[in-house]
Amino acid sequence: MIAISKVSKHFDEVQALAEVNLDIATGEFISIVGPSGCGKSTLLRIIADLVSTNGSVTKPNKGAFVFQDSALLPWRTVQKNVELLMELEGGTSNKKVKAKKALEQVGLTGFEKNYPHQLSGGMKMRLSLARSLLLDPEYILLDEPLSAVDELTREVLQEELYGMWARDKFTAILVTHNIAEAVYLSNRVVIMSPRPGKITHIVDVPFKKRTPNIRTKPQFSKLVNEISGKLRTWK
Amino acid sequence: MEIKKIAPPVLILALFLTSWHVGALVYDMAFLLPTPYAVAQVFVSDFNIIMIGLKQTFQAAFTGYIIATLLGITVATIMSLNKILERSLYPYAILLQTVPVVAVAPLIVLWFGFEIKSIIIISIIIALFPIINNTLLGLKSTSKTLVELFDYHKSNKFTSFLKLRFPAAIPNIIAGMKISAGLSVIGAIVGEFIIGSGSEAGGLGVQIIYAQANLETALVMALILTATCLGFAFFITISTLGWYLLHQWHESEQ
Repeated sequence: MIAISKVSKHFDEVQALAEVNLDIATGEFISIVGPSGCGKSTLLRIIADLVSTNGSVTKPNKGAFVFQDSALLPWRTVQKNVELLMELEGGTSNKKVKAKKALEQVGLTGFEKNYPHQLSGGMKMRLSLARSLLLDPEYILLDEPLSAVDELTREVLQEELYGMWARDKFTAILVTHNIAEAVYLSNRVVIMSPRPGKITHIVDVPFKKRTPNIRTKPQFSKLVNEISGKLRTWK
Repeated sequence: MEIKKIAPPVLILALFLTSWHVGALVYDMAFLLPTPYAVAQVFVSDFNIIMIGLKQTFQAAFTGYIIATLLGITVATIMSLNKILERSLYPYAILLQTVPVVAVAPLIVLWFGFEIKSIIIISIIIALFPIINNTLLGLKSTSKTLVELFDYHKSNKFTSFLKLRFPAAIPNIIAGMKISAGLSVIGAIVGEFIIGSGSEAGGLGVQIIYAQANLETALVMALILTATCLGFAFFITISTLGWYLLHQWHESEQ
């Protein structure tokens, strides 16, 4: 499980995050939604230990961070990019075999020798997800990973991401602007408000299984509207 | 390459050579303005002198260029390690650029003697700053997201440099090396001017001084042309290397 306790953050005079407390169960999928400047991205970086805090965060050892713009090395081929995190973490044997399997799973077989600029936004994100899953992470932090792709690809990638989570059973924390995306993917949606950033609501998502057609169900839109309403209350 | 691309510059060259030739015939003072044909003839008749000069200048400029590149990358890397180091060193790197090399050259020759060593040092001084400046720019503009990715995976400074910051800076390093290619030859010629008529077997700069004293204007021009081509050859070489390294991933070479 991931335990966030009394986490706050000041940037000079500005309070970016007021005291945030949140417990996330092992294998849970959590989404954090909120307007720009509510500190959701900062919170994710505090969990990742990229930003310091006064509070405390406990989390499993093995994790991965997926960035908005895929964070691929432009001078490396697809093959070399998928091997990158294994290199950084060190000590991984049979990199080639693992990389091959990972590329296969995200449908990038045949693109090994291509460079990132030759891939579409969706393919880049698949590559980014694939190299993260290779680490067998216990948790994955996702910082608006699908905001750079078109709407159709976005829904397909949501389904793929759900598939990965259902299969590999990692704990996931997703920061997103897209409420439908949060509802589709999560067990719980955390709503944050700005100045200073704090958690205002936590909404449970009751759906057991996610299939693409869940998006058209009345309960789904009802939940989206409910969260949307809660986001507006303090605007 | 297409005819459309080659034709315009070739046309300009033909126009230039024709007007030069006609002008020289009308002016009719071959010791001041020889015809292009006379200059071409000198390449045959004084081939040995030109080759001796070219060999000397090439050695000095090439050595200076390589040292300037390695030194420049090293200094920029040291500066990029932290802000204090950068602030302490950068002003002196700028001075290196603003000091009139022609004025300092005699001092260098006094210190290091009338030999190739001095010429190399002058070449280094003139070629160093563009490499330092561009490399530093490249090392400092690594994508913030990629830095975060490496930080998240607790990558140490050395690994981050090797796998991230240095490769990301290669386009800038190549850009700096392109500027310095011609400069290193200019530095060598300046050095040879100061050393002057030290020996018969001097570089292009020395041969130019010789030829000028003897009013061999056509030879002066042939030597200038040779020096220009040498700098151009350096540039083409580094451009090709740059293309080879970058064409598959960097916008500048696509």
